[in-house]
Amino acid sequence: MQLSTQDLDGGVTRVELEGRMDIAGAAAVDLKMNLIAGNAKKLLIDLEKVAFLGSMGLRSIVLPARAVMSRGGKVVLFAPNEMVEGVLKASGIDSLLPIHHDLAAAMAALQ
Amino acid sequence: MPAEDAAKPAPRLILKSQLDDMASLWPWVEALVAEYSIPADTAFAVHLCLEEAVSNVIRHGYRSQPNHTLTIDFAQPEAHHVAFTIEDQAPPFDPLAPSLIEEPPAPTPEDYLRPGGRGILLLRKFAGSLAYERLAGGNRLTIGFVLPG
Repeated sequence: MQLSTQDLDGGVTRVELEGRMDIAGAAAVDLKMNLIAGNAKKLLIDLEKVAFLGSMGLRSIVLPARAVMSRGGKVVLFAPNEMVEGVLKASGIDSLLPIHHDLAAAMAALQ
Repeated sequence: MPAEDAAKPAPRLILKSQLDDMASLWPWVEALVAEYSIPADTAFAVHLCLEEAVSNVIRHGYRSQPNHTLTIDFAQPEAHHVAFTIEDQAPPFDPLAPSLIEEPPAPTPEDYLRPGGRGILLLRKFAGSLAYERLAGGNRLTIGFVLPG
């Protein structure tokens, strides 16, 4: 798993995840995700390059997201592929974290 | 030919009862996917179901105690059907048990505090078929997938 961050307009932090969010992938990004969540107020989690997502990977997304939201921040998920989105929806995570495929809409949701 | 046979992925994967041993799961699945021309969406579902089922055996069946093993056997009983059979020597655990089959309510963040809290749900949603069998000293779960075409 690769992880990179980018500061966007409006105080939005974009976290781009790349690779397979299986048990090993989740373990590889957990610490960095928690550090990012400790500072971010508006978090855009970019899943476009995530090829796989399992329940441990879900946890690595939801726990940091929850940390941001518990401080009054906002989190959106961006551009998951069809199968990854299927996992997000099957597990009901989309009721906690909105999924956007259009960057402008994702940015608007964070304002 | 012998050279080609040597390159074929093994039909059986043996894993230790520790989560970090699961790193060998995807390379094995990936090799099978290439060998049997399994489409990408099915490969995703296979990896997802195996990860959830195996991690469940390790965490709940073996209670994360090392020094146990489990096996996964691959089979292609028909041209458009592949199956993965997971066998362990853990106490009884039926992931298809009626008490687990009811659709859970909408998740709360706390659900995600439990490792793999949604694992069984994902297993059920993404498997083509699931069959559980209690063995004399363990469990057998067979996960089937229908290939398109």
